[in-house]
Amino acid sequence: MAAEYALGVLEGEERAEAQRLLLASPAFAAMVAKWQGRLDPLGEAFAEAPPPDVWSAIEARLDGEVQPHSVSTLRLWQGIAGLSGALAAVLAAVMVLGPVTLRDAADTAAPAAPAPVPAVIAQLSGADGTLLAARIGPDAQYLDIRAVALPDSGLTPELWVIPGDGVPRSLGLIARDGTTQVTPPEALRPLLVDGALLAVSLETPEGAPHTAPSSTPIALGKIPAI
Amino acid sequence: MPTAAHADARRAELSGLIARVARGDRKALGLVYDRTSAKLFGVCLRITRDREAAEDVLQQVYLKVWNRAGRFDPEHASPITWLCAIARNASIDWMRKHGGPMPSDAAEDEPGAAGLGAAMEEMAAGEERAQIFDCLDKLPPNHQQAIRLAFFDGLSHSELASTMRSPLGTTKSWIRRGLLQLRGCLQGD
Repeated sequence: MAAEYALGVLEGEERAEAQRLLLASPAFAAMVAKWQGRLDPLGEAFAEAPPPDVWSAIEARLDGEVQPHSVSTLRLWQGIAGLSGALAAVLAAVMVLGPVTLRDAADTAAPAAPAPVPAVIAQLSGADGTLLAARIGPDAQYLDIRAVALPDSGLTPELWVIPGDGVPRSLGLIARDGTTQVTPPEALRPLLVDGALLAVSLETPEGAPHTAPSSTPIALGKIPAI
Repeated sequence: MPTAAHADARRAELSGLIARVARGDRKALGLVYDRTSAKLFGVCLRITRDREAAEDVLQQVYLKVWNRAGRFDPEHASPITWLCAIARNASIDWMRKHGGPMPSDAAEDEPGAAGLGAAMEEMAAGEERAQIFDCLDKLPPNHQQAIRLAFFDGLSHSELASTMRSPLGTTKSWIRRGLLQLRGCLQGD
């Protein structure tokens, strides 16, 4: 299936399954990468076509992308957050992640009345002691995620929910340390139910939330039944 | 050979530009666009078979390049191969999301053979063909055609079956056996 995914012939359920595996299985991801390495050189044979002039449109869309300086701001805030306790951590994460969190900010603007559904705790773990703890608030209106131990990397952790259909959806970037409060877009809240997987992958911050993870997850955990 | 040296220089220049893009240099992305948009638009148009869709995907491709430039490794891939792969994958994503059942018919209307011919010519013209082209040439005709249609036209399993007018199980096995033979051939050098 790795070869067929790399070739691009999979569709429907099989494609979704491959995308799920890509995130869940480093071995599968490595096989896909190997096949891409074999097949991609064929791309040299594509014939050129007179291109449209869409450069100005591309340049305009770059403005919507996160610029590198935001990353250093994020790191600075994380440093402060680490020192000043949980409240500051949450506050800092909310303030800092504001501009880089989810595009559908409009969806999250109107908080619904809290329903008496208790919070759920999930643990996400990976190789070499990677560990995160997530607390999903009532009706998944918020999700606190605390990075306990993450591997060293210049990349930024991104949180994903993988529901029953196996297709990962981004919940946005999270801080490398301390607690990040994520406000899931309304459309994704129903997916944050027991049995769904939470995953964290390391990504470049530009363009987040991404439509699909670029690498295998460093940590995975199932949302437990209440 | 001067042409090979020229190709090497172009490759090095493009790799350098991508490294600048990784550092947030917009001007460098503009230069990458100037040098590669004809090629990448060729990829998008070939697979989406729809000008408007191809233009939209092309924009997404350069935004992906902007975001992923830091992950390009010139030691492991040629820059144009890396860029074409982004364009091909983005186009296939678009097709699997929006293509629906329509493309199998459209693929028959589309002069697929002519497109294939154009790609073949360009391959033959390339002074420095990757080994995979020779391996592909050695496959049985059905396996070879199935893999070409999948790679260059972005056809899915079901679209392949309808385009090649064969049962789904048959075209799937052509793809699978063809891929295994390709792997064997690539390892056998």
